[in-house]
Amino acid sequence: MFENPEIPIHDLPAADNLQWQKLDARYVRRLQVEALITTALIAVGVLALQLLPLPLDRRLFFGGWLLVLSSGLVSLAWPPVSVPRKGYALRDKDIVYRSGVFWQTVTAVPFNRVQHVETTSTPLDRRFSQAALQLFTAGSSGGDLKIDGMPAGVAESLRLYLLEKAGASIEQP
Amino acid sequence: MSNPDATGWQRTSPFAAVFYLGKIYQAIAKNAVQSLAPLAAFLVAFKGDPTTKIIIGVGAFLIGTILLAFLRYWFFRYRIGDNSVLIRAGVFKKTQLDIKFERIQAVNTQQNILFRMLGLLTVSFDTAGSSGHEGSLPAIGAGRARDLRDRIRRMPRTAPDDEAAAGHAERPASSPRTLLRLTAGDMVRIGLSSNRVFLLLVVIGPLSEYLERSAGEIIEENALIEFLTNGEATLLSGIAAGVLLVLGILIVLFLVSIAGAFLRFHRYELVADDDVLRSTGGLLTRHEHSVNCAKVQSLHASQHVVLRLFRRFRLRAKQASASKFGRGSDFLVPLCTGDEMTALSDEFFPQEFSGLTLDPRAAFERISRQYLRSRIGIAAVLPALLAIPVLWGAVGPAALVALLWIPACAFMVWQKYRRYGVLRGQDGLAVRSGLIGYRVVAWLHRKVQRISITQSPFQRRKQLATLRIFLAAGGAIKIPYIEYAKATALRDYVLYRVESSRQAWH
Repeated sequence: MFENPEIPIHDLPAADNLQWQKLDARYVRRLQVEALITTALIAVGVLALQLLPLPLDRRLFFGGWLLVLSSGLVSLAWPPVSVPRKGYALRDKDIVYRSGVFWQTVTAVPFNRVQHVETTSTPLDRRFSQAALQLFTAGSSGGDLKIDGMPAGVAESLRLYLLEKAGASIEQP
Repeated sequence: MSNPDATGWQRTSPFAAVFYLGKIYQAIAKNAVQSLAPLAAFLVAFKGDPTTKIIIGVGAFLIGTILLAFLRYWFFRYRIGDNSVLIRAGVFKKTQLDIKFERIQAVNTQQNILFRMLGLLTVSFDTAGSSGHEGSLPAIGAGRARDLRDRIRRMPRTAPDDEAAAGHAERPASSPRTLLRLTAGDMVRIGLSSNRVFLLLVVIGPLSEYLERSAGEIIEENALIEFLTNGEATLLSGIAAGVLLVLGILIVLFLVSIAGAFLRFHRYELVADDDVLRSTGGLLTRHEHSVNCAKVQSLHASQHVVLRLFRRFRLRAKQASASKFGRGSDFLVPLCTGDEMTALSDEFFPQEFSGLTLDPRAAFERISRQYLRSRIGIAAVLPALLAIPVLWGAVGPAALVALLWIPACAFMVWQKYRRYGVLRGQDGLAVRSGLIGYRVVAWLHRKVQRISITQSPFQRRKQLATLRIFLAAGGAIKIPYIEYAKATALRDYVLYRVESSRQAWH
């Protein structure tokens, strides 16, 4: 028999009180290494400018080294603050991702809207056995939801799970 | 047009070369520097008198483009299969397209004067996921084009089984109904309310006071008459000439804009044919656009100052788009009254638009007043206070002029606050926004792709949040500064509607 019970609005599952899955434990270290490499490249650039016989104001180098020092310190200090605030939660019908320290965002993507799923990894990701999971929905040329810093194995199994879920929820036209 | 060969592949009419010639000239106009560089290089290198150079240059250009257009026609083949249109094209770079009927969102046609005389049409297809037209069949017979369009429309669609879908499926197959016709007066209204002219008016607006004062002086001094009769270049006659020039430019702009409206929308007619809306219009080239209502993602109504004066709206139905900014697949209704807009909304989202409206005068729920405090602080007070010490060194106490930014910006923030509003319907939402005019966007919950809630530190203190809703039409629709509890409840309800819907979003 056809049933159509009314669902009280207050009984709807909330996407806030969730058991958030943390990102890979070594993701902080990986971000710090990446930031240090970038800082080192900037430092090499500033040093090259200083050593070359160019008619440049000395104050420019002071500013350059200040930039190198401050960006180095911030990039070392920021990941331990930002990474613990990132997390994802898988529910039966959607995936929810939270991020942000000052501006905190919670994004929900229903499985029946997922067009395709990708995992990507940079050489540094692979060094740390990590990968990024990217979900695409319709209407956007870029990835809609990108979860960096996942253990590579988890990202791959999650990709397969999401594809299966997305395929199972094909709707009628 | 050739008959299909043994494999079913066929050519279009040789007049397709005219279509390709237009495309080539469009491409040259877009990339003038790169396209004309070889010709310029040839002309510089070629030794001879200027007249010979020009004749040879123009001749080579014309012969080259006509030859290329003909080659593009020659290498173009198409085949209409059981479920798809196959296209083979390209002179040097070969392309093969397989456009499945089920992916086609709209079949659009264009017919210029030559094609109209020859009974030919150019058919283009909008497909889900493409940012514009994916493929075109230039210069095919009008009868064949109509057959193809009807065939794509008749593609079997499984009957959906949820309530809204059932309503959709039960719509009786009826003869086409005319929903809207635009008159010559409407063409003038479209021309006068064109955004380009409106933008120019905004630029010229601040000068109007000066112009009025000058005009008064001119009339008093009879300088205009002096200028026109004697042509003596006095200061006032110079101003008079300036006023005349600006007025002349304005009049020409308005006339060009009105002529443009006639060219594009002359004899505009909007027809409903089952679940497809089709618009036709155009003076020289007749454009026919169609949209399947089930594929519309959101409706956007806009009414700027001039349209408000005319009590008219502009309506856009957006379809799924691969473009980041949602360009490319819009179905435009250039002008309609409030009543016509309401009737059209019900056509686009039949039986699911109850409780919603695109009319900005409806009772929209306001956002929090804290929006004012936050925005005025960030956009008005902070920049002004930062600008004063920076400017003080250069201009001294005159730097205090920066304080004028605060009331000006605060007024704009106030205007935006007054316009922001949310309207909840049974099956969807409508959001109103704007600065001088109004914009209202409405959509159905089941079409939402993803949803996010963001809180700034200030919003967390005040228990507020910004809700962003992402649709397949591209971009995000923002509802700023609503109560956090309301935002989460709305998000959870939208997710429930999306995840429990058994009807496709497209």
